[in-house]
Amino acid sequence: MSPTTRLPARATTRRTVLRGIGVTAAAASLPHRGFGQAKAPIQLGFWTYDNPQQRPWLQKRVKLYTEQNPNVTVDFQWFPFGDLGKKISVGFATGTAPEGFVSQDWFMPLWFDKDLIAPLDVQRLGYGSLDKFQSDFAPASVSSAIRDGQTFGYPLWFYGYANYLNTKQFKEVGLDPDKDAPATWDQLGEVAQRLTIRQGDKFVRQGFKFAMHSAAWTVIQFNPILLGAGGQWFDTSGKCAVNSEAGVKAMTTRASIAHKYHAEDPADSIATNPLPQLDWLKERCSMFFQLPLPPVLVEKENPAMASGDYYRPVQYPGYVAGKGISSTYGFNLVINARAPKEKQEVLHDLYRFILSDPMDAWKAAAPFPLALKGGWTEDPLVQKFPHVEEILKARDNGVPLPRCLVYNEMADAMHRAIQSILLEKADIKATLDTAAAEIDRANEAYRKS
Amino acid sequence: MSDLSSRIARGVRSRSATRPRPLFRLRQRTNTRLWGVAFILPAILFFAVFKYGPMLWAIGLSFTSYDMVSPPRYVGLENYASLAGDPVFRETLINTLVYIGGSTALITLVGLSLALAINTRVPGARHCMTLMFLTNLMPIIAVCLVWRFMFNPYGLVNQLLHVFGAGRIDWLTSSATVMPAIIIVTVWRFAPYFMVVFLAGLLAIPSDYYEAAQIDGANAIRRFWHITLPQLSPIVYFVIVVSGLLCARIFLMPYIITDGGPGNATRVLSMLVYETGFSYLKMGRAAAISVVLFVISLLFTVGQMHFFARSEETFE
Amino acid sequence: MIRRHAASVLPGLIRVAPLAALTFLFLLPILWMTTTSFQAGDKMFKLDTEWIPAVWHPENYAAALAAAPFARYFLNSTIVSSSVMLGNVVFGTLAGYGLAKFRFPGDRIVLLAILGTLMLPLEVTLVPTFLVVHALGWLNTYQGIAGPLVIDAFGIFLMRQSIISIPSDYIEAARIDGAGELRILWRVILPQCRPALAILAIFSFRDSWDQYLWPLTVVTVDRLRTYPLGLVQFGQDYGNPPTEQMAVAVMATIPVFLLFAVLQRSIRRGFGLSGLK
Repeated sequence: MSPTTRLPARATTRRTVLRGIGVTAAAASLPHRGFGQAKAPIQLGFWTYDNPQQRPWLQKRVKLYTEQNPNVTVDFQWFPFGDLGKKISVGFATGTAPEGFVSQDWFMPLWFDKDLIAPLDVQRLGYGSLDKFQSDFAPASVSSAIRDGQTFGYPLWFYGYANYLNTKQFKEVGLDPDKDAPATWDQLGEVAQRLTIRQGDKFVRQGFKFAMHSAAWTVIQFNPILLGAGGQWFDTSGKCAVNSEAGVKAMTTRASIAHKYHAEDPADSIATNPLPQLDWLKERCSMFFQLPLPPVLVEKENPAMASGDYYRPVQYPGYVAGKGISSTYGFNLVINARAPKEKQEVLHDLYRFILSDPMDAWKAAAPFPLALKGGWTEDPLVQKFPHVEEILKARDNGVPLPRCLVYNEMADAMHRAIQSILLEKADIKATLDTAAAEIDRANEAYRKS
Repeated sequence: MSDLSSRIARGVRSRSATRPRPLFRLRQRTNTRLWGVAFILPAILFFAVFKYGPMLWAIGLSFTSYDMVSPPRYVGLENYASLAGDPVFRETLINTLVYIGGSTALITLVGLSLALAINTRVPGARHCMTLMFLTNLMPIIAVCLVWRFMFNPYGLVNQLLHVFGAGRIDWLTSSATVMPAIIIVTVWRFAPYFMVVFLAGLLAIPSDYYEAAQIDGANAIRRFWHITLPQLSPIVYFVIVVSGLLCARIFLMPYIITDGGPGNATRVLSMLVYETGFSYLKMGRAAAISVVLFVISLLFTVGQMHFFARSEETFE
Repeated sequence: MIRRHAASVLPGLIRVAPLAALTFLFLLPILWMTTTSFQAGDKMFKLDTEWIPAVWHPENYAAALAAAPFARYFLNSTIVSSSVMLGNVVFGTLAGYGLAKFRFPGDRIVLLAILGTLMLPLEVTLVPTFLVVHALGWLNTYQGIAGPLVIDAFGIFLMRQSIISIPSDYIEAARIDGAGELRILWRVILPQCRPALAILAIFSFRDSWDQYLWPLTVVTVDRLRTYPLGLVQFGQDYGNPPTEQMAVAVMATIPVFLLFAVLQRSIRRGFGLSGLK
């Protein structure tokens, strides 16, 4: 296939020449294959995080693209959700970062700060102007990508956490899943208390459970409580403010399910569950905050729950009924600024292809919503998905995660703090003071370098 | 082989017969000396590139701030100062020292006890030793995963303790029990190896010493204290130093079993090196932590040397 | 005669009982791992230990192998560990022989320097070793994973101690006889060191088979992952039950145990335990 081998002079017979002309003519007569016009072989690296529904779909779209564009080969790698950001950072540092990757939106400030990602050409993505591009996505989802009149990311997924209830267990204890779905934090505690079943000091069933296994989930779950209490991650001067009065209030709420209402056992399944929501799926807890739940996951782990359809998402509780907010976060397709121009162009085409069929994404990964606003939510297939309106509501009404240049350090500090508070019953104010100090130190060190 | 050995024998016999000329001997001596150097050279070069070079580089890096994207920036003692003022580092340092001390002591004691237990003339003792030795060969990642499940509040350890009436112990989520849990796993893994080392030492003690002592009327405890221990003293030194060095560098056990938690309770220095360098991309600071870890290993080794040099005098 | 046998066997059994119980306690985790690997995923989460599974689930093994490319991961580990074992045996013996039987200026210092590297494990030199390997262009390569492990001071010291006890007369005689140095090494030295070589082989293989931190640092592509990296990610990924993790753990344990079984007698001799009844 490659024309680079040196032919000995006498091999260039008339027959060889004719054959060469024939091959070129045949190649020229092939119909244009949709996206991607470059004919020289292009090798791309593409990294993403693992998710049982999203990642295989993404891999399939990439494979379809490379089938239609055989000169493009993509080395598709994925890493655990909490590891992707770190792997990309090290990759940039060692010059081994891929040409394209999926960026969790809370890392965008870091890539900007170090000029590591390239601006995208919206025309090549099929949009007439940046405004048209921007208006095609929920504002919260695209805001992380836009800077200085350009977009640096092509939003892929965007969603928020919801409170998933086991409606069968609700009815068992005489609660109505519609009326009694907790709307405030106090209600959450009380409802959880009623749903809890204990045998001595052993929890047979926990009324509610917070995921405790990773720093990423810790921040996602704590974020709306903090903001709902009137607190913030950083004050106007950039100093960490989780230890403010509002922060302490938020953390007290966070710990109350276990410590005040005795409806949760933070210690029991740390690090033994490969699935964060496994306890809820196995009906060992009645309520759980989680990302949109694909039915296939339920079918795999608890077929009775899937066929009985006795679960549903509701909005996060809030300090005021009806004012519950969830954390929303998204993922952008981005391009490595150091990638050569031809590869960047091919990546544009690849990304455009990936997102050219929203219903394909829905079929593979429902109910994970794409960040794309319209053109698919009205489709009957989407509309008839059970409780889809709650999921879309969580997406549209949530608050983004904190924007922080030392996100890893911040998340780790909060994770340690929450472990101390929940498992060791450490003093909340003192622990938050320590965490805030750690985060400030990390920020300080970053600023200096 | 037999051909060569007979030639060697002939050589030995004929050595006195033929007296090699002095010049030949000198050339041969130089020649063999060169061969000696050649045999050692690969190792020397390897250690220069992969051990001493990196250590010197680490020391140099520890005085810089380096995130790998931009070139290193000299910052003097700032990394060390910042570490001294960092509660996370201080906790990690204390955890590491506690872990080294506790594990080394227990490994030595348990290893010696196991060796003494095997050394009785009990039939099947040898097979017990071989079986126990397997714990030292099991892949460490399997060890960590298995013990993590076993220390679950409803896992095997608590199930067994329940038989003796114990309540639920939150091994891995309570800061009081989590370090002992990691130490238990460490001792389980390493004691059998040192049991074998001690056993070899015990077998090497001439039995006449014990016979003489028995004739003199010494009981078992006195025989142990005055014969066994002094004879084993160099091995005890070896075991303490080697297990201490093994514990200083431990990474996988706290990382997999508790990920340094809860909070910071089981975070050890090697974990901090990895996190600081590869999660937070602060290579200079990570190098400074490495230097601290190295100094600890050095002090530990040198300290043991002094202690045993002095105690060897007392026993003589 | 049978009665005499019973009379002589029973006291033996009673005497070994405490030791056997202790041994059993030590082996519990290994047994638990094996028995769990055959249980249904669901059973695992109840965490009640069923020592003999009522229903055996050998499909856990097939499921684990299908869920992630463990065949590839084990192949990578085998390649790396074999290279490291070979490197240690070859270069450890060469250096050990050099240090044991050759005098040259500075040989004392060299010995101390080599022993000194015991205080410089990868955990201490992680960052700069990574930078060195990166500078060599060895990230995401087999040589990058195996390189820093290929020679170890423990091996050198072990071989030195073993070779020192070989009488120098044999070597001198062979030299006078005109045998080359390498021939002496091969014919005179090596056959006497089999026990030490066995110990070196099993421990260098095991240490490299166990490696996690270093491959984690050096490898970012899936096709070069060694099995510890794969197994940890397997446990972090969605929906892989601990029973399948235990199946992979059992598969990882078998090669090391097999190597030990093969080398057992030499290893015992190497430790100086051939006198043990």
